[in-house]
Amino acid sequence: MASKRIQKELQDLQRDPPTSCSAGPAGDDLFHWQATIMGPGDSPYSGGVFFVMIHFPPDYPFKPPKVQFQTKVYHPNVNSQGSICLDILKEQWSPALTISKVLLSICSLLTDPNPDDPLVPEIAHIYKTDRQRYEETAREWTRKYAMG
Amino acid sequence: MDASDNDDFSNDVQSDDDLGYYTESEEGKQDQGVSEAIWYVIDANEISAVQEKALQDVMGIMGCSRSIARTLLMHFRWSTETLFGVLAERDKDELYKLASVTSRSTEIPSCSGSQAEVACGCCFCDVPREETSDMGCGHVFCNDCWSQHCKVQIKDGRSRKLPCMGVKCGAACDEETVRQLISDDQEILARFDRSLLESYVEDNAMVRWCPSVPHCGRAIRVEGEVHCEPECSCGLRFCFACGEEAHSPCTCEMWKQWKEKCHDDSETKNWMTANTKPCPKCGKPVEKNGGCNLVMCTCRQAFCWLCGAATGTSHTWTEISGHSCGRYKDEADRRIDEAQRNVKRYMHYYTRWEAHMKSSKAEAETRTSTQEKIAALEDNTSLLKDYSWLSQAQEQLFHARRVLGYSYVYAFYMFGNAMFREEITPDQNAINQNLFEDQQQQLEAEVERLSGLVEMGPERIGKVEDQLRLQVINSTININKRLVNLYELIENDLLGSLQFSVGYIAPYGGKSTLRPDRATPTLTTPALPASKAQDEDLVDLTGLPSSEPALGRFQGREGLRSGDAAKRPRRSGSLD
Repeated sequence: MASKRIQKELQDLQRDPPTSCSAGPAGDDLFHWQATIMGPGDSPYSGGVFFVMIHFPPDYPFKPPKVQFQTKVYHPNVNSQGSICLDILKEQWSPALTISKVLLSICSLLTDPNPDDPLVPEIAHIYKTDRQRYEETAREWTRKYAMG
Repeated sequence: MDASDNDDFSNDVQSDDDLGYYTESEEGKQDQGVSEAIWYVIDANEISAVQEKALQDVMGIMGCSRSIARTLLMHFRWSTETLFGVLAERDKDELYKLASVTSRSTEIPSCSGSQAEVACGCCFCDVPREETSDMGCGHVFCNDCWSQHCKVQIKDGRSRKLPCMGVKCGAACDEETVRQLISDDQEILARFDRSLLESYVEDNAMVRWCPSVPHCGRAIRVEGEVHCEPECSCGLRFCFACGEEAHSPCTCEMWKQWKEKCHDDSETKNWMTANTKPCPKCGKPVEKNGGCNLVMCTCRQAFCWLCGAATGTSHTWTEISGHSCGRYKDEADRRIDEAQRNVKRYMHYYTRWEAHMKSSKAEAETRTSTQEKIAALEDNTSLLKDYSWLSQAQEQLFHARRVLGYSYVYAFYMFGNAMFREEITPDQNAINQNLFEDQQQQLEAEVERLSGLVEMGPERIGKVEDQLRLQVINSTININKRLVNLYELIENDLLGSLQFSVGYIAPYGGKSTLRPDRATPTLTTPALPASKAQDEDLVDLTGLPSSEPALGRFQGREGLRSGDAAKRPRRSGSLD
């Protein structure tokens, strides 16, 4: 079931690739993908290319995939390990969701952080109290880690 | 026993009411409408029947399916009262929404693809419509996907309120549909059914598993007041509020801290800091057992007790040669003093707690042996003699010992200066402590007296025993009265006076068998088969005609209606 469904998702992605992201198997293993996300234009991540690692569990899609940033991101909901705090990757996961939808959700999370449910409280605090400083640091990190 | 005996006894009871400190106000307090703790034992095989009754109630009134009734009840922690309360305030749709129930009436028609075939939103395959299902919320998926989804959820322990597969839908799946979908896997099916069944205990604020190890399979349901100490049919008596062993009169919080304290070696560590210093050479802790400040470790290293630094061995009383750390370290000394005081204090309470718990066990053993003796005697003699006074006295002793034990835990925290420091001034604390210790001592003295009397009991059974009998009965009543007073002091005056902290204890569940005004068996719950078994447990050891209510019966082993202490004012009504 899992590999059949992953195959289908892969076909769909190739046939109709979403703007600003791409995804596919990292090697021979169908259950291990790598994806890229373009930093959204209206965010301090603009211009950056962010690598994301995706692991499918054996009972996918009944369990959510594990998704992690490989590129360092300065964001209230992404920690230094690259773990992402996103409801649809946890308790709100539904078998009707797809990788393409997950990647799009991550894109909108980059544009609109959720500081009320932060993974990194310090960044969330700065985001809430000193938006300019947050944007500067995020831009600097993007330049440093997600470009070139 | 003849009638005059009984009269004597009644008089004793009357005069006994003069005991204690709070007698005058007692009646007034009793009148305050306070919920009492009533509880029932639910046997393992009765859980489904009890649950079924709640389900039927809801199905009957709401006119809904079993699955919906169950989901609603789970949401409201199996309290039909709360459920119907919400129903009365709001309408049915809102109620359903609260509990994430979607009924067929609110179905969203969803048709993707042609009539004959539907694209499953999970495996992305086209499947014939008849091989698909939805859970009432309109999200259609193929049966294969549903089946796998259900199995994964059940394996993950989410049998209850198993969620729909739809994105952010959250509706609870219909349990009959789920059963059909997983019917090919008996193990999963059994797990699903068991989980639904156990929901009645685990999601229910008023029901708790008996914490016995190994588990006896029974559960206890309480009504009204969760701070009580029910006794399961397996014999285990426990605190319903925290699930630990019965620990009144100390509060759940005190008991938790006490257990941790006794388990970890924090006191040992405290003692070590208070009384030892590590040798600067080998690091072994060294205790100074007298003498001057030059200390010698077993490894022959000499060091200064004041600063802990290694020194030579030649010294005078006032200084160690070649070493001067003579500055007096006030702070360090104070810390050591305090640590020492704390250890002493802890040891004081610990030894007394432990002694009473041990005695309590011993009383239990004597009780068994005496009961055997009584039984043998009753078999042998054709005359019906009443020995309930003896067994009741032993019951009371066993109980009073435990209460005394826990009262030391209570005192350790109540009068220590950590737990309620912000609320009680040192002066008030001293008054409280005096009051408490006074009562505690009197109780202790009476318990020892009865213990002595009871020990004589078995020897003199069958001989001249009237004098002893009266003494024992009086002492038993006396203890009961003192226990009631102690609980009242704690509940109303000590814990009750706290403004900010919350401290509830289970009401006194004493074996108040000898109080004429409490002699009627109190629990009648025809709804539950369990109670029938309990009624049969009201062993009539005495052979008395039941017209003598004062002495006639055990009031159920449970001492169910701890009426004596049910008069504490409650500050919260959080028991819905």
